[in-house]
Amino acid sequence: MELGLLRLAIALYLAGTVAALVGIAVRQDLPRTLLPRLLWAGFVAHGLSIAGRSWTAGHMAVTTFDEALSFLALLLIAVFLVVQLRRPLVALGAVVCPLAFGLTLAADAVYRGARPLPPVLDSAWLPIHVVLSVLGDAVFALAFSASLLYLVQERRLKARRAPAALRYLPSLETLDRVNYGCLVWGLVLLTLGMVSGIVWAHTAWGRDWSSDPKVVLSLVIWGIYVVLLQGRMTAGWRGRWAATLTIAGFAVIVLSLVGVNVLELGKHGKAF
Amino acid sequence: MERGIVLVGLNHRSAPVEVRERVAFANGRLEPPLRRLVAVAGVAEGAILSTCNRVEVLACGPDPTALGAALPGFLASEHGVPEPALAGHLYTHTDREAVRHLFRVAASLDSMVVGEPQILGQLKEQYAAAAAAGASGQILHRCFHRSFSVAKRIRRETRIAERAVSIGSAAVELSRSIFDRLADKSALLLGAGTMGELTARQLLAQGVGSVMVANRTFDRAIDVARTLGAMPVPWDRLPRYLPLADLVIAAASGEEFLLPRAAIEEAMHERRHRAMFLIDLAVPRALDPAVNQLDNVYLYDIDDLEGVVTQNRGARAREAAKAETIVDAEVDTFWRWYTSLDVVPTIVALRERVEAIRRYEVERSLAALGALDPRQREALERLTQAIVNKVLHAPLTALRRHRADPAEAFYVEAARRLFRLGTGATGEASEERSARSARAPDGPPGEAERESARAGRRGLGRAAEDARELGRSARSARAPDGPPDELEDLDPDDEDT
Repeated sequence: MELGLLRLAIALYLAGTVAALVGIAVRQDLPRTLLPRLLWAGFVAHGLSIAGRSWTAGHMAVTTFDEALSFLALLLIAVFLVVQLRRPLVALGAVVCPLAFGLTLAADAVYRGARPLPPVLDSAWLPIHVVLSVLGDAVFALAFSASLLYLVQERRLKARRAPAALRYLPSLETLDRVNYGCLVWGLVLLTLGMVSGIVWAHTAWGRDWSSDPKVVLSLVIWGIYVVLLQGRMTAGWRGRWAATLTIAGFAVIVLSLVGVNVLELGKHGKAF
Repeated sequence: MERGIVLVGLNHRSAPVEVRERVAFANGRLEPPLRRLVAVAGVAEGAILSTCNRVEVLACGPDPTALGAALPGFLASEHGVPEPALAGHLYTHTDREAVRHLFRVAASLDSMVVGEPQILGQLKEQYAAAAAAGASGQILHRCFHRSFSVAKRIRRETRIAERAVSIGSAAVELSRSIFDRLADKSALLLGAGTMGELTARQLLAQGVGSVMVANRTFDRAIDVARTLGAMPVPWDRLPRYLPLADLVIAAASGEEFLLPRAAIEEAMHERRHRAMFLIDLAVPRALDPAVNQLDNVYLYDIDDLEGVVTQNRGARAREAAKAETIVDAEVDTFWRWYTSLDVVPTIVALRERVEAIRRYEVERSLAALGALDPRQREALERLTQAIVNKVLHAPLTALRRHRADPAEAFYVEAARRLFRLGTGATGEASEERSARSARAPDGPPGEAERESARAGRRGLGRAAEDARELGRSARSARAPDGPPDELEDLDPDDEDT
């Protein structure tokens, strides 16, 4: 049941990817109206799948690697849909949808069944810490999407021989603004996620957690984005340089997400 | 035929802006080069077209092959460019093709932005310069005037201009790829020329928040700023205003770049690297191309804008095809007129015409006189023949004498009109003329003058009118630099009233 819903969501995300790509190539309204509908449907199916899994497990289903990947995809779609409400940016879907599609597909592939949660971690901090941290990652994933499109658009404009296929990308200024907004919100969420993690770890394990690789990597990510925000606010960093740093920050997020889990490092090794 | 029309030049398709800017003629200072052009051996009439997208030399003379060989040299030596450097970029059109090319240029079919209206104005200006310098003569006068009316006809009968994407809208499209919205952006116009003004106008129409105008002569900046609702900026204060500009439209060229890289770099620093879109419409280019390498600076020169515009061309293909058909028909009409200017067919036609009249009158007399013996008949024939030959002697001698000299076309045309030989073109010309008079206000230069001259003549007797016309004709035959369109006063519609 939960797996079926997940696969339905995967299919809808794939359809969303196609719609978004068509949307940047041609000036037609169909993909523009279709994309949000596909993604809302995907979001609902995906959300129900996770809710079902949580119900059976008795706690929020975000503790294994596949659950984490799946949850990240869900929140990424959610963030995108919220941004979409304020301003339709179909082109952004051309990066967001394949990301969500890839994440859910990977979640489906590495699925190894439920795993009991250690009693020491079974507290109200679990949903708080996980939701804040993953939401932060989702917002940074959106910033990454905007930055990627920024670099494509920037290259197109600098080359001055514009290929017709990319004519309907959003403007540089729009993409830069999305990047900036995501940077601020992502940093707030990341900070809160880290603080909640510290509090939770302190109550669960006392002091035995500070050299956890995930914690170290999170500090690195936090550092990158703080420097970027600082540069934007004081030195007028923007455009290509800001986009490049955003992408670098997201690369470290992916590294910490995948690396820590695949190598099973530290306390986050078995899950996030 | 022992005379020909040759056009040698290069345009935005055959040569990059780096080459075009080296051979561009300074606008408003065409007279000296025009004088040198008609001094080139074999050039009877000449004209120069020089816009940012093309530099073309149009000439006619007795030997088209020699002209085709001489004109590239003229272009090269005028600008101190080695001739081989141009060789790969030049095209040569002869006779019908030269006329067709001129018509297509006037109708904006050969423009970078097909259908853009500026070219016709530029063409008229440069034709006026050629006429004023005495470089263009009867053939080129006619050729240019036809090209103007072809352009108008195409604009009237096709939707090519409506479909057109101008430089301005190409710039707008690009600025929408850079900026989120235009309402909070401000544009700086450097150089208050027509092209820049039009682009600024288009940006304003698209909602650009404010426009600043800078010009070397501040008064002109004030004038243009007033019509645009913009703010004039003194030229020497540019560094202060540059950082405020999100869009810069450079439409004035000079000996060196208007804004060197360092100036832009400084401005970018001051505006904290907010994106700046630079549009360089000038040829030679006004902005250092290296500026495009700076972060958040986007520089487009006139060739780059073409790239943007090419993409929008597909939709206009059908309208352009319709326009080409019109051009074909107009070239045919012109060519009928042009070939009729030849001496030999004119002499033949003249003889045939007079012979037909003589035959007709002889037959009539024979019928009236009743039976005549062969000797009387013979005498009648000889008498009429002699009158005809004597009457024709002077005109035919004149025609032969002026064969292949600059006045040839004039004599031929005069003979054709005086004897109503018909050229195939005259009938249509008069039709076209009355159509033009109906829309007199935007008619070609000289139109109003001719209109009033004709009105004034109406009260005069026929003989006086003819005498006056002959006087005028003779004057213009002696002096090839007579006012444009002199010959059109010999229009058949005047004679027929």
